[in-house]
This record gives sequence, C-alpha cells and structure tokens, in this order.
Amino acid sequence: MSDRVFGVLGLYRDADALLAAIPEVKASGFTRLEAFTPYPVHGMDEALDLPKSMLGVLVFLMGALACVSAFTFEWWTSTVSYPLRTAGKAMNGWPGWVLVMVEATILVSTFTAAFGMLFVFNKLPFFGNPMLETDALPAFTRDRFALVVMSGRGRLDVEAAKAALRAAGGDALEVIPEPERVRASAGWWMRTVVGLVTVCFLAGYGMDWATRTYPTVRPMVNMEVQPRLDPEAPDAFFANGRGMQRPPDGAVARGYLPILAATPEDAGKELVDPLPVTAAVLARGRHMFDLHCAVCHDRLGTGKPWLDSTYQAQPVDLQSAPMRDAADGFLYWVISQGIRTMPGYAADISQDDRWAIVRYIRALQRSQNATAEDVK
Amino acid sequence: MTDATLPAALRIAPLVEGDVSLGGLDDTVRTWSEKTPPRSWYIAITITSLVALGGFAAIGYMLYTGIGVLGNNLPVVWGFLIINFVFWVGIGHAGTLISVILYLFRQRWRNAISRIAEATTVFAFMCAMIFPAIHVGRPWLPYWLIPYPNQRGMWVNFRSPLIWDVFAVLTYFSVSLMFWYLGLIPDLATLRSTTKSRFKRVVFRLLSLGWVGNAWHWLQYEKAYLLLAGLTTVLALSVHSIVSMDFASSMVPGWHMTIFPPYFVVGAAFSGFAGVVLVFAFVRTAMHLEEYVTPRHMDLLNRMVLFLSCVMAYAYLMEGFTAWYSADPYVKYVFATYVFGGQWWAGWLTITLNCILPQLLWFPRLRRSVPIMVIVSAGVTLGMWMERYTIIVLSLKRDYLPSSWGGYLPTPVDWAILIGSVGFFLTMLLLFLRKLPVIAAWEVKPDIVYYQKQRTEAGHV
Repeated sequence: MSDRVFGVLGLYRDADALLAAIPEVKASGFTRLEAFTPYPVHGMDEALDLPKSMLGVLVFLMGALACVSAFTFEWWTSTVSYPLRTAGKAMNGWPGWVLVMVEATILVSTFTAAFGMLFVFNKLPFFGNPMLETDALPAFTRDRFALVVMSGRGRLDVEAAKAALRAAGGDALEVIPEPERVRASAGWWMRTVVGLVTVCFLAGYGMDWATRTYPTVRPMVNMEVQPRLDPEAPDAFFANGRGMQRPPDGAVARGYLPILAATPEDAGKELVDPLPVTAAVLARGRHMFDLHCAVCHDRLGTGKPWLDSTYQAQPVDLQSAPMRDAADGFLYWVISQGIRTMPGYAADISQDDRWAIVRYIRALQRSQNATAEDVK
Repeated sequence: MTDATLPAALRIAPLVEGDVSLGGLDDTVRTWSEKTPPRSWYIAITITSLVALGGFAAIGYMLYTGIGVLGNNLPVVWGFLIINFVFWVGIGHAGTLISVILYLFRQRWRNAISRIAEATTVFAFMCAMIFPAIHVGRPWLPYWLIPYPNQRGMWVNFRSPLIWDVFAVLTYFSVSLMFWYLGLIPDLATLRSTTKSRFKRVVFRLLSLGWVGNAWHWLQYEKAYLLLAGLTTVLALSVHSIVSMDFASSMVPGWHMTIFPPYFVVGAAFSGFAGVVLVFAFVRTAMHLEEYVTPRHMDLLNRMVLFLSCVMAYAYLMEGFTAWYSADPYVKYVFATYVFGGQWWAGWLTITLNCILPQLLWFPRLRRSVPIMVIVSAGVTLGMWMERYTIIVLSLKRDYLPSSWGGYLPTPVDWAILIGSVGFFLTMLLLFLRKLPVIAAWEVKPDIVYYQKQRTEAGHV
C-alpha cells in the first residue's frame, strides 16, 4: 500500500441527502467529486456536471454501417458471387433483402449500445478499481449513497475533505488509498509467454495425435450406409456372386438397334431415314451435331477442326461433293461404326439422334450450296 | 398530492406492499441463492430435469433412427416440431414486451416482473431453437443456413423467408440474452459485495465486470437501456412477423394471407403474457415476493391478457372474413374444416380457450384470484398451442388437390419431444430462480423510495 490517497468517501442516507450534499462539498472547494449509488439517481448529471453521453451517436453510426453492409452483402452474393434465379424474380430483387437488413441493423446497433456502454464509455471490465476494495462497497451497492472527494494526482487535504463531507451530512468516512501499481517483471513476462506457447503446442499436437489415432466420429451414418446394391458390388443372391448381372446374350437395348450392313455402301442401299420431317427433328439434330460432331467437323461441317495443329487427324469435309452425294444410310453407318480415325458413336448417341444428325447434315449441305431454286 | 386525500374507490394501490426497504429487497432477491431453497424446489427440479432428459433421449432416438419416427409425412410435412417452434417463440415474446415496450410507456409496474419475464424469453428461445435444428432432414448440416464463405461457392437465398427466419431468431435470441445479462450486472454487483460464499464472490465479481455504481456509469447505462428498449421493440415486432412469413409467403390455402404478420405478433404477445402470469402465480408465493409483486401487478398482467384476448378474437374473425371475402373455394373450404371438419375440436378449442375463457377477467375479483388466473393462463397457453396446430396441420392436410389430401397422427416420439421441451424450460427457470437475482432490484429500488416518501408525507397529513 502506498501512502498516496485515491479519495475520501462519505456515505449518505438516501439520494436526496446525496444530492443536497454535493453543492455543499463543492462550496468547500472540492470540485473533483464522484458519486456511487445503488440505482440510477436522476439529477446527478446536473449536480456533478457530467457530460452528455455520446452513446447514441455511436449506435447510429454502427447501425447505419450494418444496414449498408447487409445490403451490399446481399446484393453481392445474389447478383455477383452466386447469381441464382428463383421464382422468376430479378437477381437484384432488393425488397426481399429488407428484412435481413433490418435484423442486421438491430443486431449490430443493440450490441454496440451494450458493449459501447460497458467497454468504450465505462471502461469495464475493471477489477483494479480502488472502490472495489472499500469497506463501504456493500453499503453503496445496496441501500446507501457514497460521495467521494477524488484526489488530483494523489494530492488531497484529507482532513479538510473529511470535514467537508461530514459537514454535508456524511458518515462512515473512509480514506481510500491509491492502489499500488506493480509493474510486471521480465521474469513474469518470460514465464507467461513460454507457458502460453507450450500450451498452444501441446494442444495442437494433442489434436493432431488424436485425429490420427482415433477414427473420425461419424454420427448418424444412415444416409451413407443404406440397404442398397452399389454398381459392381458383390452379392450372394445370384450363383455367380455378382450384384450386377449381365444382360442375356442377344439382348438389344431400346433405341440402339445394331446395324447389319457390313459396309457403308451396303447401308446406303439398305437403310432409310425413319424420322418424320419436323422442325423438332432438325433442332434435335443440330443440338446433337453441335455437341458431338462440331468439334472436329466444324459447325458448318467444313471439316476444319477447332482443335489445334497437334491434333493430326483430318476430318472429312461434309460439304464436299462425295459427301453430298452419299446416301443417308452411308452417313448413318459412319456415325454409328466410325471410319478411319473417327470412332463409332453407337454407344453414345441413340438411333433416333443419329438419324437426326444425318438430317441436320443434309440441311447444312443444302444451306451451304444453295441455288436460286431454294429461295423461290 | 398523495392518494390518501382521494376517496377509497379512486385510490391506486402502491406497487410495493408492507414494510419494505432497499436492503430488504436485496435480501428477498437472493432468497434461494444465499439460503437453502424449500424441499419443493428439489422435488420440482428432479421431476423437470427427468422430463427434459426424456425429451432429449427422444430427440437422440429420432436423430439416430431418422425423421421417420415422427408423425409428419406428406402432405403434413410440418408436424409437432414446427408447432412447438412457433409456440415457444410466441412464449418468448413476453420478456421483451414487458421489459421493453412497457418500459418505453413508462409503466413502472413492469420493474418488478421484468427480470423473470426476460429469463422466460431466454429459456423459451432455447427451447424454440432446438426444433428447426432437429427438423431439417440432415441434422448435421443446419450450419448451412448461415451465409459463410465456403468451398461449395454457394450462398444462401436471401429471398427465402426461411433465411429471414434464421436471421430473426438468432438476432432475437442473442439480443435478449445480452439484454438480460445487461440488466443483471448491477444486481450481480450487489450480490458480489454481500455474498458469504467465496466461490460465488469470485464468479459474481467476474460477471459483474467490476461494476461499482458510479454516477457516470449509471448515466451511460440508462442511455444504453433506453436505446436497447427502442431497438428491441422493433426486433420483437419483426421476429414473429417473419415467423409468420414462413407460412404467409407459401401458397397453402389458409396460410397465404396478409393478416398473418400482425396476427402472429398479437398471438405471441398473448401467449407470452399468459406464460408470465402462469410463472408468477407460482413464483410469487413460493419465493415470498408478495411485497414486490402485488395483487395489483397480477391485476395489470391479467388486464393485458384480457385485452390481447379480445384482439385475438378480432384477428380470428378477420381471418374468417378474409377467407369468405376472398371467394376462393379452397381457402373457404380449409376454413370450414377448421371448425366443421374431421378435427373440428382443434378449431373450437382454440376459440374457446383463447377468446371465450379469458372473458372471465373482466371481473376485478377474478383478476386477482390465483386459481382463476392459473386456469385462464394455462388455458391460453394450451389454446395458443392448439391454434398453431390448427393452422399448420389442418391447412396442410387439405391442400388444393383432393388426391393429395392426407392425415396426421403424432407418434409417442412427437409427444416426448414436446413434453421434454416443457421440462427443459422449467428446469432452466428453476435453476435461474435458485442462482440469480429474481427481481431487477436496481429498477425497483427507486419505486420503494417513492412509496416510502409518499407514506411519510401521508403520515404528516
């Protein structure tokens, strides 16, 4: 304990006595006064010349910031980062964002009001307050009212202050010593830092060891573990032990009839385009052609591949005269079975889609070799 | 000017009764915290915590086995869990309304009851928040509701009422928890200075953050309290409005109505006040708070229940009128099933318990009778649960297409989770009454001084 004085305290019976005492003590020449009361006493701000609270300004600024941030965040996620159209609404449909803006504003401004009051303006938590060590603490947090004459930089005429407080009706006078401020030694800092670092290392390695040693706990696995047969999984039901059975020999999948013709020329004589003449067929053909064929044959079928020169193959120009003269069945056979370096597409494109592609190739050929007859 | 000069009929009873003092209030506030509570407290908490454990066991069973153990299925996809969610969110509105809106209206009688009302809010919201979390099909993923940067490169849909709900409920819970704690700080400071237990002194010293009641601190504190009151009022009104939009923005007949937001807010306030009456009917006598929570307090609370009951009746009538005036055969049909359908008792129970039973409270003597107020507010609590049952189940089971109509039958797991949540709420409440100051002493102390002064003046007259 130092012999420096923090202040001199006097207790008063009720709030009115305290309010009456303040001007009297002030008149005795003591101006640095602080009051401690068990409940907010109105009129204290005027008696003690307390400044106005600036909390409202802080709350307004933070609330406005939160509102603008919430709007910006919603705008950015909904239109820039992850534009997902729902219910046919515009991406920047701001009316739907208002409620989240309201909630964000309230969340931030209420917490600013509370924490700003506690931490910024009242400088709490503060456990080194000399008032916490006074004998009068139970009294002035319960039913008495304390007035403290504060010392300016440890200088205070203690006896005069006592006399002034007593003259104003105070009792249980108490001299509050300035608490000893002990500087932390280098050794203390050393021990603290080394201790914290050790704890961090131990915790980190402990977690690492635990996650390696013990398997991850997976609660509620019933979405992963289901009574169902995965592809290629074994199963005891069939004699051959396979879960997935091969189709019987000679089975033909719907839409994938095999071609019996041995050469494209034979196919050209035997096969006839079975599809009706509709715009839908042509559209489908265009879609499938752009998807599967255009990468090598080009969108117009000119045979100029989009791939660079490291790709050595030379696709056929579908606009060339032999191709224009070839029968539908010829093209169909080539698409299905492949020719030279071109692979067959029988397994990937269904029968009808292959015919639709043929139809579209015909349309392409006609469009690139149009005559005056075509526009009449 | 005192009441003593007025004729007896015009005199208003003071808000404190008997020989009260500031210190006496502090001793009352920490009755169970400093002394051993009565045996009934131990019996009560044993029962409630066992019930709560039963509820959590049912939740565990549901999570382990799958959501199929509940009664909800197509077309009634929102069963007990969502009913319970709306129910508890409703109860949770009491604290804010009493503590905040009545504060803004300078109703001094809210001082003595605000602390327990705020605690009710916090615990009811703890119950409420369990339900949406366990109701999602994959209960290990509810954190996906929070918009956070993630590897999936996805964000939540900010146009969805369910996301508004997440924001509203989480904001409301965190703000009411913070508000409750903020009010506790000065009282915890009092406890810190007076408690005999060394352990409690350390805990309360930390929790009260070194509060010493400096006049400058009080000035800031009251300012913060006022700001919080204004902001939380907006919040309280917005939360149940948003909960109602989960329903109103869907196309289900019986839900798709513009009346829903105010209708839900009134319902929430109604069930909240009834819940607070119910709590005080028991706590007042059990903890000997009669001097500070007087018959006048109960009378005023019951008047609020009566007023809100009349507003509820008006809301029900307007809802029916909207259905009729819409001339929409589906909406009209669903409303007819509320009162004349296979589960007509649900609709009639709602109307009887919420609109007809509280009319008893027109009589001043009944407003002050503890058995009557227990019956009425228990009835209202049940009635408001039935209202949510009617809205959710009866609307969903009679959708537009008769081919998709269905039924709903809750399972024992549904019941166990509901009853368990009540047990959890009561357990938390009992723990609160045992450990923390049950009355906001710093708010009631000025009232005591006011009435003491009035009595002295009357004595001189």
